[in-house]
Amino acid sequence: MDVQQAREDLSRRTLSEIARPLDRLIYLASMRDYNTGVYHHDGLASRFTDEVACEALADCHREVFHQLVVSPLEDLVDQLEAYRKSTHTGPHEFLTAWRRLEPYRVAVPVETDPLAAEFLFSNFKIALAILEARLDSLPAELSA
Amino acid sequence: MIQLIFFLFVGALLLSSLFFLARRGSRAEGNAHVLVEARQALNALQLGLLPHELVGRIFADDDREYVASAAPGPLYELFLNERKKVALSWVKQVRTQVSSLQRFHLGAARFYTRLSLRTEIELAWHFTALLVTCRALQCLVYVAGPFAAPRMVGTTATVAARVCEISEKSLAFLNPVQFGPLANRSVGL
Repeated sequence: MDVQQAREDLSRRTLSEIARPLDRLIYLASMRDYNTGVYHHDGLASRFTDEVACEALADCHREVFHQLVVSPLEDLVDQLEAYRKSTHTGPHEFLTAWRRLEPYRVAVPVETDPLAAEFLFSNFKIALAILEARLDSLPAELSA
Repeated sequence: MIQLIFFLFVGALLLSSLFFLARRGSRAEGNAHVLVEARQALNALQLGLLPHELVGRIFADDDREYVASAAPGPLYELFLNERKKVALSWVKQVRTQVSSLQRFHLGAARFYTRLSLRTEIELAWHFTALLVTCRALQCLVYVAGPFAAPRMVGTTATVAARVCEISEKSLAFLNPVQFGPLANRSVGL
């Protein structure tokens, strides 16, 4: 019950402010400690408990991951482009970094089905290639 | 001499009982392993591989149409290769998990559940059909690509879901909910 309330609280106060599932995925993954896999959110933990906050964040993370997995490819391409713009990073720099570092690989929730993860990674790879092709087709002054 | 024969006889008796006990122990462990394997296979199928949304998305024709119109040429090839990899992985994993469930039904299931003859026949038919279809689908995806046989994908997912439904009943005794009344009783004590 507490976890459900914490989820609603998180959705209402924080996640509702983040429009795109991709941005939410990155935000929720950033709440997780890389060494322990435990999620931290001070505000949520102060309203509930550390454990409840962690569980609520993990639930939301799984949910948003699923949302992205079943998103049409076109939607993912649009989300990736919008996310790129929100970071104020140059398109070439962004695409190179994402292609080389594959940051989406660390944004996957724990105990995710391997096939679903493989599918999303594959979609990211295609989406990045589409954005790169779009960029290459633009005149030099527009793509900078 | 008679004493020696007697002790040899007792020794042989002890050794054979040890052997018998060891065999019995390993069989029990083996059964537990089959149960765990079957439960994991069922979870992998029901939660990971068969959800309608995921299967629909992997084999979605609208993604293919989008890439064909937005980025023809080498990018379209990249898309087809990527989808082919995922589709082959999906078929392979469905086949592996179904084989695991089949092993459970052939071996251990009858000790834990009582299926009617009709259900047993239905199950045997489903297992055979599924494994053959998965092999055919694997070949087809490999040769003609992931969008070559949408109906076959649909049939595979539907039959696999039916097998899961029957297997779920066979493994129902593992569900903790069943121990609810027992737990309540022990609390009452």
